[in-house]
Amino acid sequence: MIDCDVHNSWHSAEVLLPYLPPAFREYLQRGELPGPRGSFPHAHRPWLHPEGFMRYDAVPASGAAAGSEYELLREQVLDRYDVDYAILTGDEAIEASTLANPYYANALTSAYNDWLVQEWLPADPRLKGSLVVAPQDPHGAAAEIRRMGDHDDIVQVLMSSGSQRPYGDPFFHPIWEAAAELDLPIAVHLGGQGGLNANPIGCGPTTFFWETHALLCETGMAHLASTIAHGVFERWPNARLILVECGVAWVPPILWRLDEDYRALRKETPWLRRLPSEYAHEHIRMTTQPLEQPRSPEALWPALDDIGARDMLMFASDYPHWDFEDPRFLRLPESWREPVLDGNARDVYGLPARDRVSEGAGR
Amino acid sequence: MRGERHVVCRASELAPGERRIVRLGGRSIGVFNVGGSFYALHNGCPHKGGALCEGPICGTTVDASFGYGRDGEIVRCAWHGWEFDIATGVAIADPAVRARTYPVVVEDGQVMVVVPGTTRARGVRR
Repeated sequence: MIDCDVHNSWHSAEVLLPYLPPAFREYLQRGELPGPRGSFPHAHRPWLHPEGFMRYDAVPASGAAAGSEYELLREQVLDRYDVDYAILTGDEAIEASTLANPYYANALTSAYNDWLVQEWLPADPRLKGSLVVAPQDPHGAAAEIRRMGDHDDIVQVLMSSGSQRPYGDPFFHPIWEAAAELDLPIAVHLGGQGGLNANPIGCGPTTFFWETHALLCETGMAHLASTIAHGVFERWPNARLILVECGVAWVPPILWRLDEDYRALRKETPWLRRLPSEYAHEHIRMTTQPLEQPRSPEALWPALDDIGARDMLMFASDYPHWDFEDPRFLRLPESWREPVLDGNARDVYGLPARDRVSEGAGR
Repeated sequence: MRGERHVVCRASELAPGERRIVRLGGRSIGVFNVGGSFYALHNGCPHKGGALCEGPICGTTVDASFGYGRDGEIVRCAWHGWEFDIATGVAIADPAVRARTYPVVVEDGQVMVVVPGTTRARGVRR
């Protein structure tokens, strides 16, 4: 089994200090922060979670932040569910996308990537990393992908779903170019809804956290449509977009709508040669958590089946966040279990087959 | 060719780039002259039954740099704008979708459309 969204955190963002260049080390030590000392520099979204973000049982005995200690993460994810690979997605690092200062944002994401590679990935061969980049500076992000993207345990590029504009826009093409060069998928994780990313949701800010969380799919819709429409998958045939924590039940109707409108107004995007749903089936993947819960559990699958989602969904737990999903409680059609819990992620990340892992050859 | 031949007009009365909407055997049919060749399409769009043959006769974007081509070879459905190749009825954006075509015969200067007998099923066929 592969868990595609596991949050490795820190107790204090000051763990990044040794990895920051001196100029920006001062920013983190003496500069303004969004919270107490050790908080990570970012603009906050306009919704405050009324309970904090974490599973209470994921707080280590030391009292450190949930997700910040490998041993507990190992016990509660890797060992408990017999996980072959956990894809680490950081925690606050993607929020660097909210900062107006791209130089600081780049320094912070680079520091995070070095910290990840030095202090997390060597801990366990089952841990695979996501290279966090600051999308507000596409050329800086591309440089970071070229600097670190060939590390053996880095399996994807990661950006927040909150963004200045949808990710298919030519503004972001340097990032797609670099990711294609390194043959890395680009994952877009819920977050970055504030600061520079002034339009985190459809028609302006909603009011409550739960209300907003249920609409987390909106940014995913925009990135899906944009990457297809702008021809990202024609221009870079190995490009892949992974939508993390953006929901899945909305994907079939949005693809149906895109196909319908493309058929009428194809001439606007003459670089496309196939229907939007065909690009999506080949190039876009969605992680399952938080999986929608219809009144009749079986109601979820017919529409997803229509777009071939059996090949597109990948399991994620979102450990240690409050909306964590336990793979043992995931209701999947029997024939979907293997691809969704394992095979699809193995393909997209190029991870070795399970029998090789058990023989110790996987790493 | 099976079916009944219906005279539409003299070939000289339908110049290149022109079309006529006619009612033949109870069907609305568009007859087109594309560069001297005559074609007939069912005037009901396979998409949602729109007036397929009554929209613009035009070309379209043919390459990634917005090159424009196939001018006069395409009709856009009058309702939702789907583009169809007049000669084949194939939808440009999705070749799995086809508008119904009818054979056209030009004999003795007369343009004739071959329409299946009225006993056969009518309407849109995909």
